[in-house]
Amino acid sequence: MDLRLPSKVLEHIFSFVDSNEDRNSVSLVCKSWFETERLTRKRVFVRNCYAVTPAAVARRFPGMRSLTLKGKPHFADYNLVPDGWGGYAWPWIEAMAEKSPSLEELRLKRMVVTDECLEKIAASFKDFKVLVLTSCEGFSTDGLAAIAVACRNLTELELRECIVEDLGGDWLSYFPETLTSLVSLDFSCLDSEVKLSDLERLVSRSPNLKSLKLNRAVSLDALGSLLRLAPQLVELGTGSFSDKLDQEAVSKLAQVFTELKELKSLSGLWDVLPEYIPLLYSVCPGLTSLNLSYATVQMPDLVELLSRCSNLQKLWVMDLIEDKGLEAVASSCKELRELRVFPSGADVDETNVAMTEQGLVSVSEACPNLESVLYFCAQFTNAALATIAKTRPNLKCFRLCVIEPFAPDHKTHQPLDEGFKAIVESCKDLQRLSVSGLLTDKAFEYIGTHGKKLRMLSIAFAGDSDLMLHHLLSGCESLNKLEIRDCPFGDTALLENAAKLETMRSLWMSSCGVSFGACKLMSEKMPKLNVEVIDEHTPETRPDSSAVEKIYIYRTLAGPRLDMPEFVWTIHKNPEIGVSHLAIE
Amino acid sequence: MEICNSYSSSSVDSTNPSPSEYSVNLSLSLTFPSTSPQRARKQDWPPIKPRLRDTLKGRRRLLQRDYDTCLFVKVYMEGVPIGRKLDLSTFSGYESLLENLSHMFNTSIICGNHRDRKHHVLTYQDTDGDWMMVGDIPWEMFLETVRRLKITKPERC
Repeated sequence: MDLRLPSKVLEHIFSFVDSNEDRNSVSLVCKSWFETERLTRKRVFVRNCYAVTPAAVARRFPGMRSLTLKGKPHFADYNLVPDGWGGYAWPWIEAMAEKSPSLEELRLKRMVVTDECLEKIAASFKDFKVLVLTSCEGFSTDGLAAIAVACRNLTELELRECIVEDLGGDWLSYFPETLTSLVSLDFSCLDSEVKLSDLERLVSRSPNLKSLKLNRAVSLDALGSLLRLAPQLVELGTGSFSDKLDQEAVSKLAQVFTELKELKSLSGLWDVLPEYIPLLYSVCPGLTSLNLSYATVQMPDLVELLSRCSNLQKLWVMDLIEDKGLEAVASSCKELRELRVFPSGADVDETNVAMTEQGLVSVSEACPNLESVLYFCAQFTNAALATIAKTRPNLKCFRLCVIEPFAPDHKTHQPLDEGFKAIVESCKDLQRLSVSGLLTDKAFEYIGTHGKKLRMLSIAFAGDSDLMLHHLLSGCESLNKLEIRDCPFGDTALLENAAKLETMRSLWMSSCGVSFGACKLMSEKMPKLNVEVIDEHTPETRPDSSAVEKIYIYRTLAGPRLDMPEFVWTIHKNPEIGVSHLAIE
Repeated sequence: MEICNSYSSSSVDSTNPSPSEYSVNLSLSLTFPSTSPQRARKQDWPPIKPRLRDTLKGRRRLLQRDYDTCLFVKVYMEGVPIGRKLDLSTFSGYESLLENLSHMFNTSIICGNHRDRKHHVLTYQDTDGDWMMVGDIPWEMFLETVRRLKITKPERC
C-alpha cells in the first residue's frame, strides 16, 4: 500500500511551515519531503556565503523569491578583517540573475557590493521589490541610481550602516514619477544632500510609506515639510536636529510631530539640541523603539524624554545617560526588552564615569521583559553580575563590554569569573554572550558547563591557557559561532576539538597563539572545513612554529574559495603540504 | 612553542594602556612583530562600528574647539563694502551655515555642487591663502582650515 501523501497535499501542508529551521527538519524526513520542500521554499537564508555555492542554492530552490546572505565574519565590524578579504556579492547576483530571475528580495550583510552588482540587479529581476544592505561596502550612489530608475515595483530600499562612495545626492532624483509603491526608504548612512523637492515628491506619491530614515544632511526645516506629507509613518529616522530655528518654525514643527499618530520607532536625532527635545514629547507614549546612539543628549534631558516613553521596548542610548538616567528608565519603561548603551568616547580613556554597573542593575531589577543587553562600561563587579543573573533569568542575549581590558571587579579586585558563572547558571536560555574584564580559565569552565543553549560567544583579552578553549569547545553543545581575540591559547585545544568545528558555522581567532603548523594539520584532518590563515606577512612563508595573526575556520560544502587575496592562505594554495582538496561541487 | 603567561599578571595596572600596547603585552610568539604599523593605525577597540567611532571622534574635536578657540570669521558679499562677522562653531554643518547666511544677506546662497545663474556661491579662503568652493570637504575639516568667507556672484565661478 502506498502510504505517501500526494505532493499537492504535502505542498499545502508545507505552506504553513514558515521558519527555515522547521523547513530544514522537514527536508530531512525522506526524499519526497525533501523534493516538495525545496520546490516550495520561497525564502532562503545563507548565513555564510562561502559555505555553499550560488549554483547549488539556485538549483535546490527554484522557487526562491527572497535571498538573505551574510559575508564577512562579525569581527569585520570592528576593523579586524583586512580590506579585500572577500564576501563578494557578484557571484551570487550573477547566478541568481541566470537561474532565479523571479527573485524579488535581496538582503545582504557584510558583503562587498559593487555598482555592477546593483546594475545587474536592476537589469535582471523584473519584479524586484526589496533591497536591504547592512554593513556593506564597495558601491557608490551611481549604483543606487540604477536601482532607483529600473525597479518599478520597489517597496524597500534600506542602506544600514553601509560605506558608500558618495558622489552626490542626485541618485534620489532617479526614482520615476510612476513609482508609488515605496514602503521603506533608509539612506541614513549617506553624507550628501539630496534634493529636497525630489524627496518631497517621492514621499507625496508613496501612500504606503511606513519607514523613512533620512541622512544627517536633511535639515530640521526640511524634516518638517516631509513629515507633513507623511503623517502615517511608523518608523522615522530624522536628519540633523541641531539647526537654529525661529520660534514660529519650532511651534510648527511641534505641531507636525503631534500629527504622527502611528509612529513607533524614532532614530537619527544627530546632535539634537536640548531645546528641541520637548518637540518629541508628543510621540513618546507611542514609541516602542528609540535609537539615541547619535544624539548627544545629557542625562537630565534624557530623563525627561524617557520618563514619557512608557511603552518603550527597545532603547539604544549613549552612556551620557548615566546611572541616574537608567534609574529613570527602570521606573518608566516597564516594557523594555532590549537595552544597548554605547560609549560616548571613541577611546578607552574617554568613558563616562558617571555610568557604572549600577545602571544596568537598576534596569535588570525593574524591567521584567528585559532579554537583550549590550552594555559598554568602564568597569564592573561580580556582585552586579550576580544580581542581574538573579533578577533576569530570562536573558537571551548578554553582551558586556568592560572597556578597560583585564579590568577586575573594581571593588574586590577579583576576576569576573564568578559573576559570569552566575549569568550562565541562571539564564538557561542564554543564546548569545560576550564576556570581558579580567577572566581566568575558570570562567570558561563555568561557561562550558552551564552554557548549553549558547549559540554565539565573543571573547576578548581573557583566559590563561588552552584550557579556556577546551572548556568551550567540549562543553557548549549548541555553539554555532565563536569569535576570540587577544587570548592566549595554543594549538592543543584546537586540534583536540577539531571535530566540534564541523558542528559550528564558524570560528574566528585573532592575536591568539595558534601556530601555522596547527593550521596545516587542521586543514588536512578536516576536509569539510575551510581553514583560512589571514596574515599580512605572506602566511605560507612562515615557519610551522610561528603564531599566525588571524584564523577564520568555517564549515563548507563549496570547497576552497577561488577569490582569496594574497594575505589569506588555505592549504589549497600549497597542496604539496597535504592532501589537495580542489574538488568543487 | 612556549606560551607567554606574563601578560595576565602585568596587565592589572591603574593606567590605561593604549590598544597598541596590548599587542606588545600579548606577544605570545616572538617570531613575528606583533605591533605592525597597521595595528597601531587601525582602531579596533573598544568594539564599536566605524560610523559611531567617526561620529564620536568628530564630536570630540568640536568639543575641544569650544574650549580653545573662537571661530569668528569675516563674511563679505561681493559688491558690498561692509562685511559681517560670524561664529562658525554655532553651526552643525553646511546646510545650517548656508541658511543662516541666506537670511543674513537676504539672498539665496548655495554650495558649489549645484551651480546655476540665479544663486550666489559661497567661497572661503583657507589657511594657504587660496580661495576655494565651500562644500567639498567634511565640515570638521572645513572648520579647521577656513579663514574668511566670501559670497560671490554666480558668473565668477
